[in-house]
Amino acid sequence: MNKIKLVMTVNKKNVETEIEPYARLLDVLRDKFGFTGVKEGCGIGECGACTIIMNGKKVNSCMVLAAQAQGADILTIEGVENSDGSMHPVQEAFLEKGAVQCGFCTPGMVISSYHLLNENQDPTDQEIKEAISGNLCRCTGYKQIINAVHMAADNMKK
Amino acid sequence: MPLMGTKNYRHLNKRLNRVDSADKITGRALYAADVKVPGMIFGGSLRCKYAYAIIVEIDTSKAKAIPGVYAVLTAKDVPKTQSWADYPYLSDGTVRFVGETVAIVAAETTDLVEDALKAIEVEYEELDGVYTIEGALEKNAVQIREKGVGLKDGLPDKDKKGNIFYDSYYPIRKGDIEKGFSEADFILEREYKTPFVEHSYIEREACVVMKDPDAGIVTAYASAQNPFFTRRYLADAIQAPFNKCRVVQKMLGGSFGGKEELVGLMVGRAALLVMATDRPVKMVATREESFMESAKRHPFNFKYKAGLTKDGKIIAWEGTQIANAGAYNNQTQYLNCRAAIHSAGVYNIPNIKTDTYGVFTNNIHSGAMRGYSSPQIIFAQEQFLNEIAKEMGIDEIDLRRKNILKQGDLTATSQKLTAETITLEMIDHMVNTTEYYRKKEEYSNTHKSKEKRKGIALVSCYRGSGYGAETPDAGGSLVTAIEDGTILINTGLAENGQGLKTAYTQIAAEGIGCTTDIINFVGVDTHSIPDSGMTVASRGTVMGAQSMRKASIDLGTLLRETAAMLLKTDPDKVDIDNNEFYIIGSDGKNKVSLADVCNTRLWTGKAMAVYNWSEPGDLGIDHHTGQGDAFPTYSYGVVVAEVEVDMETGFVDVLKVSSGHDVGTCVNPDTVEGQIYGGIAMGQGFGVTEEVPVNKGQLESKNFDSYIFPTSIDVPEMEAVIFECDDSAGTYGAKSLGEPATEAVGAAIAAAVANATGVPVRELPCNLERTLLGKSLSKGGMIK
Amino acid sequence: MIRFDYKRPDSIEECLALLDMYREKARLFAGGTDLMVEFRAEDKKLKDVELVLDISKLTELKIIKLDQGSISIGSGATFSQIIENPVLEKYAPFFIEACKTVGSPQIRNTGTVGGNIGTASPASDSVPPLVAMDSKLVLASSKGTRNILLSDFIEGAGRTLIQPDEVIKSIQFKKLKPEAGFSFVKLGRRKTLAIARMNVAVYVESDKDGVVTDVRIVPGSATPVSKRIFEAENMLLGKIPSYDLHEAIGKKVSEKMIGITGKRWSTPYKEPVIASLVKRALNEATGVKENE
Repeated sequence: MNKIKLVMTVNKKNVETEIEPYARLLDVLRDKFGFTGVKEGCGIGECGACTIIMNGKKVNSCMVLAAQAQGADILTIEGVENSDGSMHPVQEAFLEKGAVQCGFCTPGMVISSYHLLNENQDPTDQEIKEAISGNLCRCTGYKQIINAVHMAADNMKK
Repeated sequence: MPLMGTKNYRHLNKRLNRVDSADKITGRALYAADVKVPGMIFGGSLRCKYAYAIIVEIDTSKAKAIPGVYAVLTAKDVPKTQSWADYPYLSDGTVRFVGETVAIVAAETTDLVEDALKAIEVEYEELDGVYTIEGALEKNAVQIREKGVGLKDGLPDKDKKGNIFYDSYYPIRKGDIEKGFSEADFILEREYKTPFVEHSYIEREACVVMKDPDAGIVTAYASAQNPFFTRRYLADAIQAPFNKCRVVQKMLGGSFGGKEELVGLMVGRAALLVMATDRPVKMVATREESFMESAKRHPFNFKYKAGLTKDGKIIAWEGTQIANAGAYNNQTQYLNCRAAIHSAGVYNIPNIKTDTYGVFTNNIHSGAMRGYSSPQIIFAQEQFLNEIAKEMGIDEIDLRRKNILKQGDLTATSQKLTAETITLEMIDHMVNTTEYYRKKEEYSNTHKSKEKRKGIALVSCYRGSGYGAETPDAGGSLVTAIEDGTILINTGLAENGQGLKTAYTQIAAEGIGCTTDIINFVGVDTHSIPDSGMTVASRGTVMGAQSMRKASIDLGTLLRETAAMLLKTDPDKVDIDNNEFYIIGSDGKNKVSLADVCNTRLWTGKAMAVYNWSEPGDLGIDHHTGQGDAFPTYSYGVVVAEVEVDMETGFVDVLKVSSGHDVGTCVNPDTVEGQIYGGIAMGQGFGVTEEVPVNKGQLESKNFDSYIFPTSIDVPEMEAVIFECDDSAGTYGAKSLGEPATEAVGAAIAAAVANATGVPVRELPCNLERTLLGKSLSKGGMIK
Repeated sequence: MIRFDYKRPDSIEECLALLDMYREKARLFAGGTDLMVEFRAEDKKLKDVELVLDISKLTELKIIKLDQGSISIGSGATFSQIIENPVLEKYAPFFIEACKTVGSPQIRNTGTVGGNIGTASPASDSVPPLVAMDSKLVLASSKGTRNILLSDFIEGAGRTLIQPDEVIKSIQFKKLKPEAGFSFVKLGRRKTLAIARMNVAVYVESDKDGVVTDVRIVPGSATPVSKRIFEAENMLLGKIPSYDLHEAIGKKVSEKMIGITGKRWSTPYKEPVIASLVKRALNEATGVKENE
């Protein structure tokens, strides 16, 4: 098998590496670049722990071949913070509302919430639930996460 | 009403952001699978596809010949195949469940690990096994474990051969059961069943093990729920002294009782590969491997018989509770202790005879899962109570009010409940705030619909807090002051995602008097602190933190002494506010900072740390009668569930769950509510969708596409009701919550389904087929 | 994980040329949401695959257009793209409803309708409404194109009539009347992120007196291949919709299902349930309420 030279943008930085043609984007982000905030839960696109934003769309990075990310613009949890290193309002709200327990689904949850609030500044309960419906959480029962997204929406309007 | 909020604490009873949240929210938190060390290679396990078979031959030569494959180990290459806890690192020649490991490999890359595993050739001779509780107890059943015993006169007997795990047998004998039934006006007998259930933490099991001269021999970074328990496997596998084997817990992505055996075995296997290759080895379970080898919630078969007087007082209770333990087991004997103690529910019954035991089958082992038998037992008992109420024509709430344990009553083990017991107040509060009777009436109007019907139900339960009579409930904590005025706290109990670090920070702050932001919790490193027992049994805050409370109070006293010296006054005239010591009544003029106090202590050679060990109380039950004081205290729960059942498809929509818990003292309302909400979701899964279907030992669900638990859209409206009471047994009066939060939810949902459909639920989960047809359907075959 | 080489052709022509060269050894990769699962599980049907042809970036496969009363959806259109399309919203709302129930938001962002058809799962959500619209597929190879009815194309569970050198280029159907009745009903083990236990797509056109002039009923997960159940449809044609009639039609669908599959382990469940889902879908499409 022929290795492929992969060039892409991750969290606003240009990166480059050599990959196997069958490598998953998830593994390349974690193993080659150390973006270990991108988590693997199931490997079959069910749990959403590996959610990232690729070219403006949120996807499960376990369902994407790294080779498909050629030239792509990617955002992982590590890139959600503000440029001054402070937490994004979504992250602050997760902290304030007790939306985190074991934390393993959290990066994916934050990405899905962040993506929602970029598109919809005033989401309803149902819209929030739908936005995070591809992110399984086993600890929280989702309630404090939903509260956090509401709080973030309010704070972002200020 | 004893709702939360009347206690007077500085740091308890108050919300505090979790101390570990920021790292988790930003992706900085490192979990075991995120660990990377120089020279690291990868390990993998070859798993058997048969439930019961003899290994005729293993040929590893082709695997070994692959360049980049550094080790291929089978039974003959390791010091021992069976772990200290019964489960095998490597098969001893007979495989007894699907997924049992027959070989392990280490290689340069994960691709090479895959190649090596595929290149190993194994020849098996398949055997007929036993797969179900009924099958294990059949007269001529194959005996699958040498230590299995049989039945004599219907009870486990050491001198008979069979499949019963004798150490897991617990009888309860209270009063005179025959007299009880002879005096009863009404007798009812029913049977119930529950399935295998998977924890489904989102993080899979993982570890990195490496040689580490600083530690002695090896260090393991692991997704360990109980690092000291994992150390036992590590030292055992490579036959090394414990003091040279170090386990460091990494951030844990959920456990719920599940990251015990498989993590221990995996660390043991990785250590064997480290010793064979001299390289650091990483092992990460695939989700499928996690399903195959991580413990499951015990399936139970229940048979209960109750005798009541005509006015609804339960005077006799007989029961058999049989657990499916799987092929290997070191949990059922503890689990069944709890199951036996709680075998007659939260009710005051004078005459009780129950027998609880486990059986070996050719399945994945059952183990600890949030509740440790209670969700199964409460499901069965509470459905039974509602069936009794219906048959007798009495109100189901009245039946509970009439029989529920109150202060001064005797439990099934004849333990007298001496602490404040607010069960009646809880029932009344939950009935009123949920508008139980109004809704019951309203929902009954839907009970003629062909399409959708609504139902409501209330269940009550209790739970012994901590280990109790299962095992000594002891633990130690070290609280260290540092010269800059910051504090380190360290204990053998572990953060599993539940919020232990945050609760312990609050408890330490309460004891010292300082603010929470200057306290840092040291993650568990087995080289840094003694074993404090496992982080299980909802004991972390209630019992485990006793030593943290005492050590921090003692450290606070030492610090105050130095402050008094610096302020030239007596220690009892000094208090602390915002990390400054001041003379009480001095208008804040005479102050000294905590940092100055700590610095002074350092340079005057005074103790900077306090270590405290909390010893267990005097608890224990008689093994023949089950009688005695079983737990330091009990947590009580009352849960109301409302459902809508689609009568044409069997779909159960859980509309609302109101979950009331007596937590003694609420340490942190945010985390308490988080436990309750999460417990509701997990209980919903247990009640409605969750089951690992097993067909002759083969798991039919191995990942989240077919193992179904609630999404954000499925969870119901949730109401968390926090009760407090005066009970001095636990740390600052706190009682257990982690397991109580989920243990009655499935029961309440099932009872609400029964209310909606008019048909009692006797088996979980209430999935589509069972709700519509009254039975599950198993895959395969044509119906003639 | 199955290992393979990767190529991303820049045009359909290049893709077809490569496909012609590699044939069975090549695998088209559209959204990857099924394929990645199968590669990971080392599905036997992929054992000969040496090359993945990534068509996920071929924009010419993503076009959705309305042309003289006929709607064409590029096979590479993702479910998210379909859900947001105003033409489909107007003329094929039940198809949008079906696509909204596929997987999760993440899956819908990558999963494609062509992939869903090619996978030929009996539990597909997008296929029943497409069959209900008598959709045809345009298949392309280096030799040219051919059209085939979707309901003929899917041969059985996981089996289609696609040739090794062919690509599904687009799905085409006539636009439906926006004022007609549509319904897609899905039953899963949970409310979302669930494979259909059963589903059904229904389309009902009526005249000004309420008499049904056109009707399509297509159940999913009931039979290996989703097809219109003409016998059931005929029961409604020329009639005025009613609860009792819908109930009878549901039973007819159920009867036809058993006629096709025989009695299987799941029949005791599926038999009453598909009847109910059909009844509900017809009620919803025609505004009939539960029997009062």
